[in-house]
Amino acid sequence: MDQFVQQIVTGLSIGSILLLVALGLSIIYGSMGIINLAHGEFVMLGAYAAWTFQHYLGLGLLESLVPIFLVVAICGWLIERYVLSFLNNRPLDTILATWGVGIILQQAVRLLVGGELRYVQLPDSLSDSTELLGVQVPVYRIFLFFAALALFALTWLLMNRTMVGMKLRAIIQDRAIAACFGVNARRVYALTFAYGAGLAGLAGALVSPLKSVSPEMGTGYVVDAFMVVVLGGVQSLAGTVFSSFILGELSGGIAFLENDTVAKAMVLLAIVVLIRFRPEGLFTTHVRA
Amino acid sequence: MATKNSPDARGGYRLGLQLAPIIIVCALVFLVPVFLDNDFLLNKAARYVVFGILAMSLSLSWGYAGILNLGQAMSFGLGSYALAMALKLKTVPIQTGSSGLPDFMAWNNVESLPWFWVPFQSLGFALFAGVAIPALVAAALGWFMFRGRVTGVYVAIITLATMVVINLVIIDQQRYTGGFNGLTDLAQLEVFGISFDAYSRSTYYLVACCLTATLLIAFAFTKSRAGLIIQAIRDHESRVRYFGYDVAVYQIFSFALSAAIAGLAGMLYTVVMEFASPTFLGVQLSLSVVVWCAVGGRQSLVGAFLGAVLVAGMQGALSESAAFVETWTLVMGGLFILVVIFLPKGLAGLAQTIKARLGRRESAQANMSEPLESTEGRL
Repeated sequence: MDQFVQQIVTGLSIGSILLLVALGLSIIYGSMGIINLAHGEFVMLGAYAAWTFQHYLGLGLLESLVPIFLVVAICGWLIERYVLSFLNNRPLDTILATWGVGIILQQAVRLLVGGELRYVQLPDSLSDSTELLGVQVPVYRIFLFFAALALFALTWLLMNRTMVGMKLRAIIQDRAIAACFGVNARRVYALTFAYGAGLAGLAGALVSPLKSVSPEMGTGYVVDAFMVVVLGGVQSLAGTVFSSFILGELSGGIAFLENDTVAKAMVLLAIVVLIRFRPEGLFTTHVRA
Repeated sequence: MATKNSPDARGGYRLGLQLAPIIIVCALVFLVPVFLDNDFLLNKAARYVVFGILAMSLSLSWGYAGILNLGQAMSFGLGSYALAMALKLKTVPIQTGSSGLPDFMAWNNVESLPWFWVPFQSLGFALFAGVAIPALVAAALGWFMFRGRVTGVYVAIITLATMVVINLVIIDQQRYTGGFNGLTDLAQLEVFGISFDAYSRSTYYLVACCLTATLLIAFAFTKSRAGLIIQAIRDHESRVRYFGYDVAVYQIFSFALSAAIAGLAGMLYTVVMEFASPTFLGVQLSLSVVVWCAVGGRQSLVGAFLGAVLVAGMQGALSESAAFVETWTLVMGGLFILVVIFLPKGLAGLAQTIKARLGRRESAQANMSEPLESTEGRL
């Protein structure tokens, strides 16, 4: 029984990290159709921002979350404004352009702060572990779980209860008509991309105490996050939540039974089969194309 | 492009004109050893030409068929492993003696040769398998995807994910595949009494011959009836389907042909590098192929080839020069973004535009206007 609970908790923990990373990707891909291969690099930037704030300014992780979000969001805004906005209506080319952006960001970080591993410290208040249903769970893992859910709730509110969100949803439905009603699509797109990038930055900052920070750390995340988005269904925020936890539990479970590599391969295969038979994902919202 | 291939009297002349770049490029490739009297540099040149073949194979599926295969390196790696397995079995391991197990299997306590290694004791089978296995895998994957009418981004994701799965399996099954280290210490390829040392002219000429053959085969395919239909599918899939064509069959065929050529390139790469490694079917290489293709021009076979030679060559030169050893990735990334934004058809598209400008000036004088660029690539 203990082992079972332990597995569930591990799965939830993997799932909350996946959700943190995938949320930004889901917004960007779902609303703009941009396949952002630089997403992993935004995660990496966030982790480095956390390290920089801690190392040079002595700020704790929790206090620096807002500035980290802003820094990475500004990076995202610049990239949207000066690279991606040239690529309207060429969705497959965005794969290529964002890949180029990704390798530039990676190398730039390597040049600026060096390629060696960096470590970010846990906030003191969250460094203990607690007992939950008979198993020891680090408090920080629980914090991550709720942080992921909180960010999801915030994003949902932003999309569904604010003016910018409404404009964005109008553009998703029909860009031309929305423009006729005076919606500035370019501005909304730039803000959306910036917000998605900022979320990725937060994800990077939040996972940085658990993993070592390196310029290459983002590449692993982008594939996983992308699988989450595809599984959950494009344009479905709630789907992203469910699929992150499904994938988290699945890879946690298979990794327990076999090993990490087999788990990864099995999950990928399952997703390939799913795309073939249900390309719209498990959870879909209806959109007039 | 192909739509200009009208059956009028000038058809033959035009065909010759389209063949000209292929002939010129192949002739130049064959001439390289005349000027390059250094075995090390020749080996490097052979590597770039192999990359060129790989990029050309992607141009066939991406540029002509509109199938963005982000897992093109999968076919490349499978071909590379097929030949490497045969060459590994030709070596004499120290521990197990001649015709014994490969050394890494002995280290991993494997008792007997696994069944899937057995056929590779024949070099002929390996040479066949290096092309056939990638083609079959691609055909199966293509059947899986295109029968379900999977298109666009989803093709890209499925091909990428499939490649990652195969890569993970190869790394995980270290006992049978050599794992991370790949297959090293290979024997030299010997066919018809010619031995192909990686640092020799014979290997370079082998690569050059394969380039010529594959370029001509790919060119012939794009000019064939099936090749024209595949380009029509790229431009408007449903319309071709309404005409009654079985779209999936054509897609599967071009996908498999592209994989077969990539497999051949993989085999050549084993000969040139003298080992096979899981990185040959890694995400890094696979995305690089896409970059080469995009820079050279995805809708031009010669363009894609030149794109690979140019980018891979520049990458090699920059990473070795003192001034750029740290910043060459920045340069490459920036260059690549510029190409994507301003030259969506790559360098080949640029050449075409220049040619069209010059042609327009001439034809304006002769008062003979005709549509110059008819197909606007959607992808």
